[in-house]
Order: sequence, then structure tokens, then C-alpha cells
Amino acid sequence: MQSLVAARSSVLRKSARGFASSAARAQATPLQKPVEKKEFKIYRWNPDEPSKKPTLQTYTIDLNQCGPMVLDALIKIKNEIDPTLTFRRSCREGICGSCAMNINGQNTLACLCRIDRNTSKDTKIYPLPHMYIVKDLVPDLTQFYKQYKSIEPYLQNDNPPADREFLQSPEDRKKLDGMYECILCACCSTSCPSYWWNQDEYLGPATLMAAYRWMADSRDTYKAHRMEKMQNELSLYRCHTIFNCSRTCPKGLNPAAAIAKMKLELAAE
Amino acid sequence: MSSSLVARSAFNRNVAAAFARRSLRPLALQGAADFAYVPGGPIFRGSVNDPTPFPPPSKSHGSYHWAFERLLSAGLVPLTVASFVTSGTNYPIIDGLLGVSLVMHSHIGFDSIVVDYLHPRKFPVLGRIVTWTLRATTVGVLVGIYQFNTNDIGLTELIAKAWHA
Repeated sequence: MQSLVAARSSVLRKSARGFASSAARAQATPLQKPVEKKEFKIYRWNPDEPSKKPTLQTYTIDLNQCGPMVLDALIKIKNEIDPTLTFRRSCREGICGSCAMNINGQNTLACLCRIDRNTSKDTKIYPLPHMYIVKDLVPDLTQFYKQYKSIEPYLQNDNPPADREFLQSPEDRKKLDGMYECILCACCSTSCPSYWWNQDEYLGPATLMAAYRWMADSRDTYKAHRMEKMQNELSLYRCHTIFNCSRTCPKGLNPAAAIAKMKLELAAE
Repeated sequence: MSSSLVARSAFNRNVAAAFARRSLRPLALQGAADFAYVPGGPIFRGSVNDPTPFPPPSKSHGSYHWAFERLLSAGLVPLTVASFVTSGTNYPIIDGLLGVSLVMHSHIGFDSIVVDYLHPRKFPVLGRIVTWTLRATTVGVLVGIYQFNTNDIGLTELIAKAWHA
């Protein structure tokens, strides 16, 4: 017995090898993905150096070591290359609206925008156009939120049913489809030339669609009050049906249609 | 137009520069004038939690204006066709109606440009000058059309003549 154990251990010692030098040739080698370098040119501006003009900074990353969306690339750049790159992001699935920015000339959500796999072309990323910039890709949305607040975006009804919830017919509920899904990412408003020139007074497509969402709600009784607010030349009627809003909406909504319906209802009032 | 655009961008740059300078100064040195509201500028009305105010409601600036503008635009289509198939000397009413509608239509269009780009809230001097120049021009053209239609061959005949010339 003793001799048998000794013999076996000597056999083991003879064939001993470390795990690091494992039998690589005996196993299939994992496929090495080719390196696909792509350039991202990203708008940079630092409020700590206000005298320095904003610039485009170029980052090169390997697309095969990165997720498929532009937000993945931004996070990779921030994690691995430049931690000073600043942008908003939260849900990474197109429901929070934080990562709205201008990617290759189109306002969209970085988390819903696929990276163009063509490595011969660069991808340019700017903040939302014609907004005051807080830093890098972060625009100041204060005015946008103040305008949203001004249209009273909540149900107003002086005679709520005493003993139960509000009831609504399926047809009335259907009128809100395509409007209640808006996540207020500001892509549409900041793509609108009218909003660029007159955003201190013109409400912009996002806020106007939200306003019509409450006008169209059968449970709301303040429709006349809501409509009266729009009766001036600036708040609503600076819309010249350019349709950039519907074209750019990353959620596939149609703010231009809501504004058109609002104009028609105001005219027919 | 181009000189006003230059003035506007220079104005914007001055505002931005003033804002940048202001933000570098210690808070105690900043006065109320530094935070005065500028339309479209980086200073907002009220606090960040205040909703933006609305101008006083006026249907003649709102829905009536819009409905009139659209009906006028739509009405111009049959009116143009009617003037095309008739002659101005036989149907002076259509001729006069076309002249007035065209001038109104142009006036609303130009006025929209002025409101978009040179609104008096941002351009207190230039905006008013342009608005009143436009009004004076429109009145002048209306008088001219009246004179031309009553004392001369009229608009439709003129276009027909120029067409065949």
C-alpha cells in the first residue's frame, strides 16, 4: 500500500503543471474580437474657466469593448479615459429623459441611440442646442421646467365625485394616448427654431403638448382657464408648424399634432 | 437686417460676458441690478420655483388672429383662380378683393417675421421702428392699389400684360 501511494505521487509530480500554463492547445481558443477604434468628438466647456471657449475634444474607444449605445460609450470614456467629462444619465433605458443631447446633429436620448458602427466616421456629441450650458453636456433646463409649471400640469376639478374615483370612458382615455408618455427630455423644444429665438415667452412643443394633454382630459374642468392662457401672440402662436419636434422625439410622440389640435379648438371656441 | 443681427449677437455676447464677470465676483458685492431680468438672457423672472407668467389674454392676438390668417390664406387660392379666368375690367370687385387680400396676407407674413426676430420686448427701439415702418408701407401699398385699380388698368390686367410681354 505504502509503495503504491509513493509511486502515484511520483507520477503526479512528473506531470505537474500550474493552472496558468493549462492545456491551451487542447481547448478551443476564445475568439479574439478585432479592435474597432472609433472617434467620439464631444463638446467640452468648463464653468471654472469661463474665459476659455468651448471646444470639441476627441476620444477614441474600441467599439468591441463597449456597449451598443452612445450612453455606453460616454460612460466608458468617463470611467476609463477622462473622469472630468460631465453629462446627465440615470435609467439607461429611455424612461427618465436625463441623457438628452445632440448626437450627430439630432436631438435624442444617448441611451436609445445606437453607436454608428462605421469607424471611418466620427460621432459628434453636443449638448441640447441653444440652451445655456452648466458644464459639458449638461444644459440649464430651469426655464423649461418653469414653463412646464406655468401650464398647471395636474388635474383640476372643483367637483370631484364624493364616494369614488373619477370615471372615464375608454374613448376619452384614448385621447390621452400619445401625450401622457412624454418624459420631458426637452429634445423637441430645443430642436424648435421658434423656441431658439423666443424661448423666454414661447412655451415650446413639450410644454404645449403637456398643456393640451390636460385640455383633452375629460376629468379636468379647467379647460376654459387653460385655453385662455394661450390667447396671446407668443405662448402658443409662435409655432409655425416646422415639425422638428415630431421628427426628433426619441419616444416617437407627435407634439405638432397636439399643438395643431389645440389651435383648432381655440379657433372653434 | 444684417446690421441688426450683428447688433443682436454683440448684445448677447455682452450679456454673457457680464454674466461671466458677475459670477466671478464675491456674492456680497453683487447688487440687485446685476440680477435684473433680461428677456432670453440667463437671468430668469423670479425664483427657479416660480412658473413663467403669461401675457394678458387677448383673442385678437390669439385665436382670432390665427383663424383670420388661415382663412385668408385658404381664400386666396380660389380668388387667384377667379382672377385668372376673368378679366379685371369686367370684374373690378374680384380685382380689388385680390389686391386687398394679397396686401393683408403679406402684412401678416411680414409682421410674423418681426414678432419672431425683432420683438419690441428684446429690441425696444429697432422693433418699434420696424413695426411702424411695416404698417406705413402696408397703408401706402393699399392706397397705391386703390389708385391703380380706379385710375389705371388694375392689378389683374397688369399681371396679364406682364405675362404676355
